[in-house]
Amino acid sequence: MDATQLLKGVLDVAVLAVVEQEDGYGYDVVRRLRAGGLEEVGDASVYGTLRRLYTAGALTSYVVPSEEGPHRKYYGINAQGRATLDVQRKVWAEFSTTMNNLLEAS
Amino acid sequence: MTTSTVAPEIAAFAAAVRDALADLPEEERDELTDGLEADLSESLAEDLRRTLPDPVAYAAELRAAAGLPARVKSRGTFAGLAQGWRDTLADVGIAIRRNPALGGALDFANALRPIWWILRAWLAAWLLASFFGVERGYGFAGGWWLVLAAFVVVSVQWGRGNWHTRAVPALIVIGNVIAVIVLLPVLAAADDGGNGDSGFDRGYSAGAGSVLNDPAIKGLSNNGHLLENIYAYDASGKPLHNVQLFDVDGNPLVTSRDVDQMPLQPAPAKLETGTKAYNVFPLSLTKMMWDQNGELVPDPSEDPGKKAAFRNGPFLKVPAVLDAQKVANSNH
Repeated sequence: MDATQLLKGVLDVAVLAVVEQEDGYGYDVVRRLRAGGLEEVGDASVYGTLRRLYTAGALTSYVVPSEEGPHRKYYGINAQGRATLDVQRKVWAEFSTTMNNLLEAS
Repeated sequence: MTTSTVAPEIAAFAAAVRDALADLPEEERDELTDGLEADLSESLAEDLRRTLPDPVAYAAELRAAAGLPARVKSRGTFAGLAQGWRDTLADVGIAIRRNPALGGALDFANALRPIWWILRAWLAAWLLASFFGVERGYGFAGGWWLVLAAFVVVSVQWGRGNWHTRAVPALIVIGNVIAVIVLLPVLAAADDGGNGDSGFDRGYSAGAGSVLNDPAIKGLSNNGHLLENIYAYDASGKPLHNVQLFDVDGNPLVTSRDVDQMPLQPAPAKLETGTKAYNVFPLSLTKMMWDQNGELVPDPSEDPGKKAAFRNGPFLKVPAVLDAQKVANSNH
């Protein structure tokens, strides 16, 4: 089974969880996802997901100028994003339990 | 150590990504790529073995993750439609070619394409002529043949693929669709006009008799003149009354009895069987007129002399017919 296919379905909740811990800019979020074990995650996928979550109203965003180079765009979670994350955590917990039971039983 | 500028290859890469997103609204594209240079710089600095990916694929991934539709080529609506039409045709063509019988049929249909080129030119000329109200029937008169010839040249040149500019393929598609849509009603209209008298005959009748405007009028006619009455004379040249006339099939010969068209209304004769007969000549005719209520009534101001003429016929007596026996005798 290809992990990248599975990742597509859960990237939203993974990104929300990472941003909930601490605000982050694009590559920062990518780095933390990879550090968390999602090593195959593509940066363009993460940037696009951040943008989509922001458009959907689950994230806030602000630009931080940098003296060293190009400015960075930071994303932070808001109340709607937290509510979404709570729901998706429960969905994931139930789903993973179901899958674990199925796989262990066989 | 950090640099305050973006590496040229990253700037070029980011520009190529923005290019691939050029069909998006500017605001959307900016939001999507804001901070891209910073992210890429950091990403490359961290992983020195990494090479920049294909910017188009990168943009597609960015777009898909952001939930935006895949790139549509920024072409005009009509060109897009034409392209879609061509793609569909190509797909259908491939499907047909897989079946030898259908492929043969396709070749046959292709061989008939010039006929369609002529037909659509004829349709265009016919529509134009109809627009000016000068044509009925399949044929053309006078200068319209030249118009048809010009349209045929244009249509065939288009069909052969000559004279193509960028806009022409879309125009041809639209023109073909219109031509197919109007084909049936035009054929029906042309057929309608083509039935009955030909245009030539109608023109002749109108000029000669000034009565026959509508070929639907029924009745007896003599060289295009509608007959109002028939006067018979016997061998001695005296007028006959109550002559019953039939054709070879036994059908009564009747003049026009369409009272809405005929200002002269015949009074029927009564047969011994009790039925009314209109084939008994000379007919007793009454000149009719429309009153204020639109009803057809006898004309009160009818000229009595004319009425008598209708009743008595053109001659009181005509020359007698010589008996064949008498002719033979007189030559002795």
